[in-house]
Amino acid sequence: MADGNSQAAGAASRAVNGGLDDNNPNQAGASGVTAAAGATVAGAGAINASGSSSCSTPSGGTSSTSSGNGNQGYYQLSVTIEEASLRNNGFLKPNPYVELLVDSKSKRKTDLVKNSYLPKWNEEFTVLITPNSTLHFKVLDHSSFRKDAMLGERVIHLSHILHHYNGQCEFLELTIDLFVTSKSDNRQTKSGELVAILNGLKLDMSKVVQLQQNGGAAVQTVNPVVSDAAASGRSCMIYGGVRARMRLRSNNAEPQAVTRSPLPNGLPSEQRRSAAPPVWEQQQQVAQPQQPLRLVNGSAAAVPQTASYPQQPPPPAPVQVQHRPVSQAQLYANGPMENGAQAAYMAAGGALEQPGCGAGIPVVNGTDQQLQTQPAEDELLPAGWEIRLDQYGRRYYVDHNTRSTYWEKPTPLPPGWEIRKDVRGRVYYVDHNTRKTTWQRPNSERLMHFQHWQGQRAHVVAQGNQRFLYSQQQQQPTAVTASVTQDDEDALGVLPDGWEKKVQSDNRVYFVNHKNRTTQWEDPRTQGQEVSLINEGPLPAGWEIRYTAAGERFFVDHNTRRTTFEDPRPGAPKGAKGVYGVPRAYERSFRWKLSQFRYLCQSNALPSHIKITVTRQTLFEDSYHQIMRLPAYELRRRLYIIFRGEEGLDYGGVSREWFFLLSHEVLNPMYCLFEYANKNNYSLQINPASYVNPDHLQYFKFIGRFIAMALYHGRFIYSGFTMPFYKRMLNKKLTIKDIETIDPEFYNSLIWVRDNNIDECGLELWFSVDFEVLGQIIHHELKENGEKERVIEENKEEYITLMTEWRMTRGIEQQTKTFLEGFNEVVPLEWLKYFDERELELILCGMQDVDVEDWQRNTIYRHYNRNSKQVVWFWQFVRETDNEKRARLLQFVTGTCRVPVGGFAELMGSNGPQRFCIEKVGKETWLPRSHTCFNRLDLPPYKSYDQLVEKLTFAIEETEGFCQE
Amino acid sequence: MTAPRRLRKELVDLQESSLKSFRDIKADDDNLLRWTGLIVPDNPPYNKGAFRIEINFPAEYPFKPPKISFKTKIYHPNIDEKGQVCLPIISTENWKPATRTDQVVQALIALINDPEPEHPLRAELAEEFLKDKKKFVKNAEDYTRKHSEKRPAD
Repeated sequence: MADGNSQAAGAASRAVNGGLDDNNPNQAGASGVTAAAGATVAGAGAINASGSSSCSTPSGGTSSTSSGNGNQGYYQLSVTIEEASLRNNGFLKPNPYVELLVDSKSKRKTDLVKNSYLPKWNEEFTVLITPNSTLHFKVLDHSSFRKDAMLGERVIHLSHILHHYNGQCEFLELTIDLFVTSKSDNRQTKSGELVAILNGLKLDMSKVVQLQQNGGAAVQTVNPVVSDAAASGRSCMIYGGVRARMRLRSNNAEPQAVTRSPLPNGLPSEQRRSAAPPVWEQQQQVAQPQQPLRLVNGSAAAVPQTASYPQQPPPPAPVQVQHRPVSQAQLYANGPMENGAQAAYMAAGGALEQPGCGAGIPVVNGTDQQLQTQPAEDELLPAGWEIRLDQYGRRYYVDHNTRSTYWEKPTPLPPGWEIRKDVRGRVYYVDHNTRKTTWQRPNSERLMHFQHWQGQRAHVVAQGNQRFLYSQQQQQPTAVTASVTQDDEDALGVLPDGWEKKVQSDNRVYFVNHKNRTTQWEDPRTQGQEVSLINEGPLPAGWEIRYTAAGERFFVDHNTRRTTFEDPRPGAPKGAKGVYGVPRAYERSFRWKLSQFRYLCQSNALPSHIKITVTRQTLFEDSYHQIMRLPAYELRRRLYIIFRGEEGLDYGGVSREWFFLLSHEVLNPMYCLFEYANKNNYSLQINPASYVNPDHLQYFKFIGRFIAMALYHGRFIYSGFTMPFYKRMLNKKLTIKDIETIDPEFYNSLIWVRDNNIDECGLELWFSVDFEVLGQIIHHELKENGEKERVIEENKEEYITLMTEWRMTRGIEQQTKTFLEGFNEVVPLEWLKYFDERELELILCGMQDVDVEDWQRNTIYRHYNRNSKQVVWFWQFVRETDNEKRARLLQFVTGTCRVPVGGFAELMGSNGPQRFCIEKVGKETWLPRSHTCFNRLDLPPYKSYDQLVEKLTFAIEETEGFCQE
Repeated sequence: MTAPRRLRKELVDLQESSLKSFRDIKADDDNLLRWTGLIVPDNPPYNKGAFRIEINFPAEYPFKPPKISFKTKIYHPNIDEKGQVCLPIISTENWKPATRTDQVVQALIALINDPEPEHPLRAELAEEFLKDKKKFVKNAEDYTRKHSEKRPAD
């Protein structure tokens, strides 16, 4: 046992050495979010002096790399140059063409495209390459008079890509950031993106000799694993600014004439690499002999952390390890690390007994001994782990490396991951695949989410340019001659915290918010309510409500065949004017609400501007520090965003990009601040595990400010939050329905309890619940002495209410509160009250042009077919209506107004891919209903187009979702 | 604690009912969220051995279903190499908080005794089962002999 353990320790430390990478010390240090950044530097040991230049020099590595090609075989590779998007920075549009050089020779050129920033070439070249070739892409501007100018270039090392995709280049789409070098100061700036397809190459990587890279560590490839991302077609980052993804083969008619076999004379040589020495010797405490641990008796048994380690080391915020410049990029030594780590697990097999452990607890428990027939790998633990029993004899797992404990059996770290410790002894995890660090131990689900998140990256900016809402001009405060209801002194109760009521010299009342230094005429207690509290009684016989093309409501009197805007119901105020002196129908419209909100923003604008200067690579940290340093209300000044190295005037475009990029960054699931609602709902919610980061509340405050800024400045964020989260922002009560979108399993069970007689089925429910976060079971009493009160038929309603409340808030209360505080420091939360949660998503994420063709093509029908007249009417309605209605219809049925990046074919339901579905349900008097979990619209068989339009419009505008299921 | 209270009761009930085909049931040294037990099938080709399973209950039980995995290797179209099993009664769509563990176990035993090749986890075994039953039975018997546990004496 002891022997096996020491072997494990040796193997593990080798693994660590092999896997070490020189993180760019300067950038990591500058990121400064936490001490872990410093640790990364310290851990690296050697400081790479050339790491300071922040931009890559694409041509740097070319010659040295190509020199080693002599004894390698040549292969054919098809390179299709598809298209580029170039930064608009000149007076005239360029005439771009692409030059491709393989190993700095055999120049190939595309045709030129005239006058375009978005040239499309779609030209295929077949080139001869070796596994270590470089591909140099140059985009040039053809000029008849002078030398052709460089629009952007980039050198790609094929070995990186081959390594990443295990020698397979088949319909591999590369999106390459192009750079230009300024003549004056040699500074590099991004100038655009080029899309190219690599195809027809299939190498056996075990036979490929990897070259010594110029920096040091040799790369070994032993059984390289095709990464998940590669296999599933998601996009992944090869290195800074180069993204790759496998295209589906069915994907349009790419030129696909491909020869796969290597040339006859070019058989790859069979040289085996010799094991390269580790680059740095590193003192890691991984798998070192353990110090004895004590069990502290009597403490709460449900929390093994506190039981075994009196002080739980609080990890700080995650740090982004920087993408290093390409020219210095050494290949990551995934191979040795991975294998070393595996060796460590193997060696540790069965070595559960730690020699240094004096705790006197029998470690191997009885069950295990009886399970001798079970497969050996079942009880293998990674090096440094141990099984223990708590004082109640319950099994838990101790990770001596991190001094943390878990209920769940550990799984080995995925390939390319490493465990490290910062200077304060806190453990974090390094992902050499993406050069990121995180506090949470990675597991497959978290990695899947991360890859999903990362896959979005390539599309973030493109998406940003597609989003829109109404243009600002339309929202000039036309309707805001608002006469304010200033009666009933304080019948409304006290003002919300921070507000004060004041009177102008002309006796007009106004309200001041001291928290965010705003003023307004409206009473914050009733703000937005006039809009939602319209009393809808039944219409007199023969009357009907309809809507104009502009969404304005009017009334049809079929008795007299006349129409009017005036509500015929007795309770309705005559004159059709609402509280704000505008037609009531208009008051309900989203456009009007938006104009109210915009008016408040404009009337509370501050003079002058604030500058926020960020580096792309450290976007999160830079933005965090600058936003938190300013007094919150100043964030309402005009924004002036500068990306370092890309100086240009911010007339809105730059800040639009900043909001979009930063929002994507902030929601990086690896930061543990937010998480996806569940495996098929990619809306975000606060992660209850965010507390692992001791500064998490500061970050939530920051994000609260940031989101308020986005709304205030009319900018969009990349991806939205869950509907329940928006409801929290609006201070709306959460209902049992809200659980469905985030936890369908839990919801179904709760509904079952509600709908069935529970007295005779032995549910054994009490007014107390448990849940698990980071392997720790947290117990909660739903009410005082809930532990002792059984749930029965009589009190189950109360139980369901309490459970609903608990389910929606558990583990995230403090975070939510801080987020809202941060928000409220910039913009009063009361200003949001004009909107409902779905409208809030619309203004925060913007609308997208919906591709109706794609939508229709990917829709399925139940009890209807594509030619049913209701279906034909439905699509007629979708085509004829405006984008807002389309977005809201989509939101009504799918739960979000956003279309997946890959179009409607990729729409997800709660059980995996789920196309948009229209089902015939009910009678013509019914309203349409929706099932957001299944992307299904229940459309009754209406008798006419007009009837369908009316019912559908009513359903999607009705906000409380009563017709939603 | 909700889950343990219910689980303790279920455990005792299950132990007292002394099923012939599910024995040696115990919670993991007082960790009520993890049980093990021995499946003793009646039908060939599995009736020459016994199979250890593990039942893991989530903290939110009974609001969320338990998960079952085989600790003993078994040659069965509905159980994969990792010991995972797909049992409709504990799937997200079908789970009800009133479903009791003994019902889950009964469903599992039924599945072991009578494989459902139309919903396979291991397609190649399902194919063999359907196309060449003899070969399947022989393979499964060999496999059972080699990997399974001893059946209890009584």
